[in-house]
Amino acid sequence: MEQTIFYIFSTVLVLSAGAVITVRNPVFAALFLVLAFFTSAAIWILLEAEFLALTLVLVYVGAVMVLFLFVVMMLDINLTVLREGFARYLPVGLLVAIIMVAQLAYIVGPARFGLDKFPAPEPHGADYSNTREIGLVLYTEYLFAFELAAVILVVAIVAAIALTLRKRVKTNFMKPEEQVLVKSKDRVRLVKMAAEKRDDQQAPND
Amino acid sequence: MLEAIQSALSFLPDGLVTLLIILLKIFALLLPLLGAVAYLTLAERKVIGYIQIRIGPNRVGPRGLLQPIADAVKLLFKETILPTNANLFLFILGPILTIGPAMAAWAVVPFDDGLVIADIDASLLYILAMTSLGVYGIIIAGWASNSKYAFLGALRSAAQIVSYEIAMGFALVGVLLAAGSLNLGEIVTAQQGSVVQWFMWPLLPLFLIYFISGLAETNRAPFDVAEGESEIVAGFHVEYSAMTFSVFFLAEYANIILISLLTSAMFLGGWLSPFEGILPESMLTGGALGLLLGSGIHWLLLKTAFFMFLFLWIRATYPRYRYDQIMRLGWKVFIPITIVWLLVVAAMVVGNVGPWFD
Amino acid sequence: MISMSHFLILGAILFCISVAGIFLNRKNVIIILMAVELMLLAVNMNFVAFSHFLGDIAGQVFVFFILTVAAAEAAIGLAILVVLFRNRRSINVDDINSLNG
Repeated sequence: MEQTIFYIFSTVLVLSAGAVITVRNPVFAALFLVLAFFTSAAIWILLEAEFLALTLVLVYVGAVMVLFLFVVMMLDINLTVLREGFARYLPVGLLVAIIMVAQLAYIVGPARFGLDKFPAPEPHGADYSNTREIGLVLYTEYLFAFELAAVILVVAIVAAIALTLRKRVKTNFMKPEEQVLVKSKDRVRLVKMAAEKRDDQQAPND
Repeated sequence: MLEAIQSALSFLPDGLVTLLIILLKIFALLLPLLGAVAYLTLAERKVIGYIQIRIGPNRVGPRGLLQPIADAVKLLFKETILPTNANLFLFILGPILTIGPAMAAWAVVPFDDGLVIADIDASLLYILAMTSLGVYGIIIAGWASNSKYAFLGALRSAAQIVSYEIAMGFALVGVLLAAGSLNLGEIVTAQQGSVVQWFMWPLLPLFLIYFISGLAETNRAPFDVAEGESEIVAGFHVEYSAMTFSVFFLAEYANIILISLLTSAMFLGGWLSPFEGILPESMLTGGALGLLLGSGIHWLLLKTAFFMFLFLWIRATYPRYRYDQIMRLGWKVFIPITIVWLLVVAAMVVGNVGPWFD
Repeated sequence: MISMSHFLILGAILFCISVAGIFLNRKNVIIILMAVELMLLAVNMNFVAFSHFLGDIAGQVFVFFILTVAAAEAAIGLAILVVLFRNRRSINVDDINSLNG
């Protein structure tokens, strides 16, 4: 049962990862990357890492990839120029990838990391909380690293805003705080003057 | 009851029985949900009608009660128009990706003590993750339509949902600080005792911000610039018709009900009775009176119905926000308030401030 | 039963796919960024697998930090990309050569 689930999800994961690097349209590439993240979250749940799986969906699928899609959809990209050389590098790239996979698979294969070397751990009981376990070490042993991560995020926010912010010159921004403070006497001047008499006797509305 | 079904099906293999029971549970949840969605559309038209001093739909069936069925039949039999230059695969995928997460999020929602499909440990995180997936349907629909109005609506909606998700997430952090758990059932039981124990009192700003962010998340008035019929026609679903169109609305209304239910579960004590701690214990348990006044699913549904009504009331009352004002409200008002109140809540939890955290 | 090598080989395949992706799409910054994200995912897969099979939660904590840093990296990378496109009207890697000597 578990094995079937693993094989289904890992097939989808590998195929969608392959699609990310080969499809023509970057929008489709981003969507396939979303699929890849989602399936790997499912695989992480098989590994009893629910917290990280949900965080992956929340952070990556819910935020980072939306950002990617946003940028990809907004940029008007000339695709033919960017695809130049794809066919030329394809044989070499494939060869390198296959050799690398073969080498890595030999190293991490069943001979060294099989079930006899690393037996599958006992499944945790119903009262086991993955979130609690992570929290317990995150806020004690890894406290400084955690705070560093927070600093990195702040730097990222500041950098991203500083890079992309530009003052538009021609827009007519309204300042609500100034709008609210306007009094009628700032805008309208009431003038008191005596009534004037018309000389001609024509009716005003004809 | 589940055991009875289990034993009746015992001639089937074990795995199949489990699968059938899970499917049964899902149907038992989704069918009433879809019914509620259908009648929420009628309620919306009726409520807004009465607020604007007219009657609302009253032709189909007694007092217009069969109107949603007539609407559904009409939408089913209309032609689904597929724009010629649209990307057909993504065009169809958009509505599916909108409704899927909206339904999936209901898997972890508890209706009563233990009455939940999947009682997982991190259910709040799961709901956040699922609701954040809904934005894909909108982006994909807007992009695949190959229409500038749809695209503008999709971009507006995506930016709005992503921005308000932060305020919403921070409000939820306050809830789980107060409850000390990510499990929705445990969050509700942490509010046991009396009305004073409900989290809406210590977390009042977070409660308001959560509900208002919920309005923005579901693209409801006054935050419905993504549809904005007076500026960008109908936003991301301008090219959709018939069933594909109605699927978007199913998802929107399912999300409204979800947000209302979550608000009442996390801040108003969910299925807990408001008479706890006021009336004597004997009146709350046993007998017909105890069923009515004691804790139970009816209280949760009642509170949810109130928040659903609030959604409609707000829609009938407020004019639409301007887009830059929405962004300003989300980033410059809500997020700072939630962060400050998180510090306050943390201090209250650490300092054992009564009557909530002692 | 699924052994640890299953997950490790899956991670290895993912890693090699993303390396090949950088190889093949040498001109497109967006695809290169996506391939980098995919690489980090492969690494995370290994971390989670090790953490599960060795019974040590530290691996998952590391994944948490990698997610944080990768999110920051994606945000800054995309910001740079937007600024680049605004100035150059292109995201071709070959066009970013004004500093070469």
